[in-house]
Amino acid sequence: MLLPTITYGFAIIYSFGKQGLLTKLFGRQLFDIYGFNGLLFGYVIYTLPISFMLILNTMGFIDKKFMVVSRVMGDSPLRTFWQTIIRPLLGTLAASFVQCFFLCFTDYGIPASVGGEYEVIATVLYNEMLGSIPNFNRGAVVAMMMLIPSVLSIALLKYLERYNVRYTRISQIELKKNRMRDGVCAAGSSLIILSVLAVFAVIFVVPLVQEWPYQVSFTLEHVQAVLNDSSLFGVYKNSIFVAVCTALLGLLITYGAALATARSGLSGKLKGVIDAIALVTNTIPGMVIGIAFMFIFSGTPLQNTFPLIILCNVVHFFSTPYLMMRNSLSKLNSSWETTASLMGDTWIKTIVRIVTPNMTSTILEVFSYYFVNAMVTVSAVIFIAGARTMVITTKIKELQYYTKFNEVFVLSLFILGTNLIVKGILGYLINRKEKKEK
Amino acid sequence: MLELRHVKKSYDNVTILEDINLEIQDGEIVSILGPSGCGKTTLLNLVLGLTPADSGEILFNGKDITNVPMEERGFNIVFQDYALFPNLNVYKNITYGLKNKPDISTQEEVDEFIELLGLREHLDKKIEQLSGGQKQRVALARTMVMKPKILLLDEPLSALDGVIKESIKEKIKEIARDFHLTTIIVTHDPEEALTLSDKVLIVNKGCISQYGAPQEIITTPQNNFVKEFILNQLEIKRNNIFALFHQSMTATMQAV
Repeated sequence: MLLPTITYGFAIIYSFGKQGLLTKLFGRQLFDIYGFNGLLFGYVIYTLPISFMLILNTMGFIDKKFMVVSRVMGDSPLRTFWQTIIRPLLGTLAASFVQCFFLCFTDYGIPASVGGEYEVIATVLYNEMLGSIPNFNRGAVVAMMMLIPSVLSIALLKYLERYNVRYTRISQIELKKNRMRDGVCAAGSSLIILSVLAVFAVIFVVPLVQEWPYQVSFTLEHVQAVLNDSSLFGVYKNSIFVAVCTALLGLLITYGAALATARSGLSGKLKGVIDAIALVTNTIPGMVIGIAFMFIFSGTPLQNTFPLIILCNVVHFFSTPYLMMRNSLSKLNSSWETTASLMGDTWIKTIVRIVTPNMTSTILEVFSYYFVNAMVTVSAVIFIAGARTMVITTKIKELQYYTKFNEVFVLSLFILGTNLIVKGILGYLINRKEKKEK
Repeated sequence: MLELRHVKKSYDNVTILEDINLEIQDGEIVSILGPSGCGKTTLLNLVLGLTPADSGEILFNGKDITNVPMEERGFNIVFQDYALFPNLNVYKNITYGLKNKPDISTQEEVDEFIELLGLREHLDKKIEQLSGGQKQRVALARTMVMKPKILLLDEPLSALDGVIKESIKEKIKEIARDFHLTTIIVTHDPEEALTLSDKVLIVNKGCISQYGAPQEIITTPQNNFVKEFILNQLEIKRNNIFALFHQSMTATMQAV
């Protein structure tokens, strides 16, 4: 999840292509990577971690005591499994299905790299808008077409939320020991992790050898070349700048919006409007937002500028951080404001002295979410980044034309490294904070 | 003296309180007693100024404070969940209000509250490290530092263990007596209300069922509600306890 999807495609090409790393290992090409197979494979490894996180998250909220109850009541193991694990997970499983559909449907990076002749809506949209013969009218229609299934899938997600089983409290119990089960599951998941890692191994291999696949001796030449190439390194700096600004601005806006809905006396209608905005931004695919921004701001001084990219990213990723903020704000004690104002605080003062210090974890999480997403996104910015305001992901797209894959992978490594560092530092801070509280 | 005249409150056309008339003398402890949903918390919020009344007047020492905002009324409240600030330690919680109004209590007075509530040894602790009773005492101290004209307590004992309850009760009585502080307590426990307060206000379905000293309520219940829901519960409790002590008493008698 820390890499742009466009890199996923190139990783597949370099793993399973004719001269691919894995092709060499197996001695023959496993399947034709361009077209349906490549897309399917790319989408699967792209959505796998997201789906996994969703399901893992819900599993954590399932009360395991019900397994004991079910066993004591004399259920067969299969029935226990159904009643206490699958049944409470149903909503999430369906939601994960829809979420993955939405992600694949609106993703541009993977089809851009391994789509080949197999056209999906994202590539059609790009070609209509920025291809050799642009046709804005048709492009706009395609954008609308893209919107419909997206809206439907989000509506379905909202509906499915109802099926989530809520347990009032989660109790810790000792799980039954079972070597067989643990062994089989461990083997299965290691296999999956291994095969995903195998695909990404090329990202580390290709840029660090002389000339793949003919001269495979180790070298840092390509990395140095990128570092010395001011146009490439400049792009990296642009990306960091955009990501930091997006994270800061996004933080401010989501925090403000969440404060308004979760902890203020605003009228219900206004709060409904903010919630609706969050829902709408969640529904609109990045490409459609990008096109909208392109149309609105073309001809204005804002066209192709950093502020526009930053604004576009903030809007594009608004929904998730906003909901994160709102959830943790509404979990805070509701009497704090009253108590503090009786102690002579103004509302702003209470926010600064009491609410914000208790929100640090979430604030750091939101920052990291915005940062990472701004680093890897390609779908929206591709329409609004100009020559001077190129970010890494759009640069990768450009490098693809000149088949400069060494640079593509070096830049991808930069993104991965930066994201890992940022996530690491913020994760450490959050952990330390939570430990301190205990 | 706090006075409520013909106070009414409704939410979305559902009447919560209708025509409440009430007088509370200075320095009195008054309990508001009633089942859940009877409107007792709303009544407390009305006095505090958190919720505006639909009609009627609230007077304090003869002055109309119906439209005076919460912060300016000079009353203060301890919420059921205490609403202590977890990012601050015990001492900083207690002195929170002094940051805004440095002159309201002197250092000696703050120390006095800390001593009275037995918090000296906990001052540097984090809020999470405290037990329920300790939290309650910190919240009381924090409120007392603000020198409220009326102290409001929302279910002050319901989150506490049985053993702690009695000692907190004594602390509340002590504070009210020592500082001649009008104290209004919301509770759903008849025993708590009748043993803690000078006067008990029994509320049912948005109306005052009976208002009087504990003794009056026991001897002359004015209606069926008071009889069945308040006195009945107490009698069952009394019989249980009597049965318990009677057995041991007869046992000692026989031994003699």
